[in-house]
Amino acid sequence: MSPSPLALIAEITHRCPLHCVYCSNPLQMAAAASELPTEDWIGVFQQAGKLGVLHLHLSGGEPLARADLTEMVAAAHAVGLYTNLITSGIGLSEPRLDGLVQAGLDHIQLSFQDSREQAADSIAGTRAHALKVQLAPLIKKSGVAFTINLVVHRQNLDHLEEMITFIESLQPDRLEIAHTQYYGWALKNRDRLLPSRQQVEDSMHVIAAAEQRLAGRIRIDAVPPDYYARYPKPCMGGWGQRLMLIDPAGKALPCHAAGVIPGLIFDNVRERPLDWIWRESFAFQKFRGEAWMPEPCRSCDRRTQDFGGCRCQAFLLAGDASATDPACSLAPGHGVIEDELLRANSGASSAMAVEDPKEVWDYRTNPGRTQQPGQH
Amino acid sequence: MPRPEDSSLPRLAPGCRWSGDGENRMLLIPEGAMRVQGTGQAVLEFCDGQHTFQQIVDKLQSRYDADADKIREDAAKFLERLREKRVVDF
Repeated sequence: MSPSPLALIAEITHRCPLHCVYCSNPLQMAAAASELPTEDWIGVFQQAGKLGVLHLHLSGGEPLARADLTEMVAAAHAVGLYTNLITSGIGLSEPRLDGLVQAGLDHIQLSFQDSREQAADSIAGTRAHALKVQLAPLIKKSGVAFTINLVVHRQNLDHLEEMITFIESLQPDRLEIAHTQYYGWALKNRDRLLPSRQQVEDSMHVIAAAEQRLAGRIRIDAVPPDYYARYPKPCMGGWGQRLMLIDPAGKALPCHAAGVIPGLIFDNVRERPLDWIWRESFAFQKFRGEAWMPEPCRSCDRRTQDFGGCRCQAFLLAGDASATDPACSLAPGHGVIEDELLRANSGASSAMAVEDPKEVWDYRTNPGRTQQPGQH
Repeated sequence: MPRPEDSSLPRLAPGCRWSGDGENRMLLIPEGAMRVQGTGQAVLEFCDGQHTFQQIVDKLQSRYDADADKIREDAAKFLERLREKRVVDF
């Protein structure tokens, strides 16, 4: 018997005004026309509440692109879910923010790409930074819990201290400093995102100093870079253990990237109840527990801590979703990570020369309005 | 990091709230949940911005009949730690 999920990520749309080069959305996105209607999402939230889910993360794409967001927050709040809005801020106005807070929104996580406007807009592929800076005081004033999320990588790590000072001035309650994770769009752009070992080590010192300095004012949570770790990350707290993700069209996935794994069948909340999907569906059972594990995971003492790492990364880097995550130093396929690290640490300067960003990055595109053949 | 003073009014930080009853009672925080029991829960239940730290210590002392200085010390340390985690303000 599997425990209940603790959190539900609702990717309520894949539409987004930003085109971040490390977006966690899949390369194949759900079309606008395939998005679940309001009442279906509300039905999902009600089922989630009954199932014992505590946190609802409203994500996207840009969730503010849905005009019915406030209605959804109210419905989720009514069934006791802790509601978290994960947003770029684009589409947020003061009245809309007030409406969301009144509807019961518990927490806002606002993304920043950089402290420097030009660099931030270059990562986002659009001019968004100045607007975010204007929004921060409004969010602060509203009283809702406020987290700023900062994704760090090769292009911005050299001025991490400056970025933290900038974010400090915006007075969030919490700062999430997340090293880029290489799936989908970020994997396409990995050569330009993967930091050097020196950058990673320096960043750990900067973060430790900031944690001390800001204690009691801003809580810092850091996501370490798994390519540089000895052991893999405990991805999602274990497959089908804590978390479920519903994509804009209603497909239920065990994580953001699971759609890349061939042969998995993802059930849809339009056709199946949430608790059946969680407990019984093929996709959620496929890598649950330890039966699927190969060696060296199967006999490893750490298998209950990191669960063999990430299944999606195993597929993307080793070509086999049942392999030990190549990020693990004990994995037979660890060589592919070592090759990447060799490349990232071989002399070339870490800063990007002035070039046309469009020629340098693979920017996240937007989903079409209607379904393309072969999608989903 | 300063400890709570007698006149401090400890309260849950933004984005932290209670959920559930009895054994299911949990403190929901951004990106997580804390199951607190015993004296920890007793302290936190009074962190409503209405009780001073002194009042909280008094209430705990009458409930647990323990040494007042030890209760004060333990509660102060507990609140200090939770403030660093941005779970309480005072």
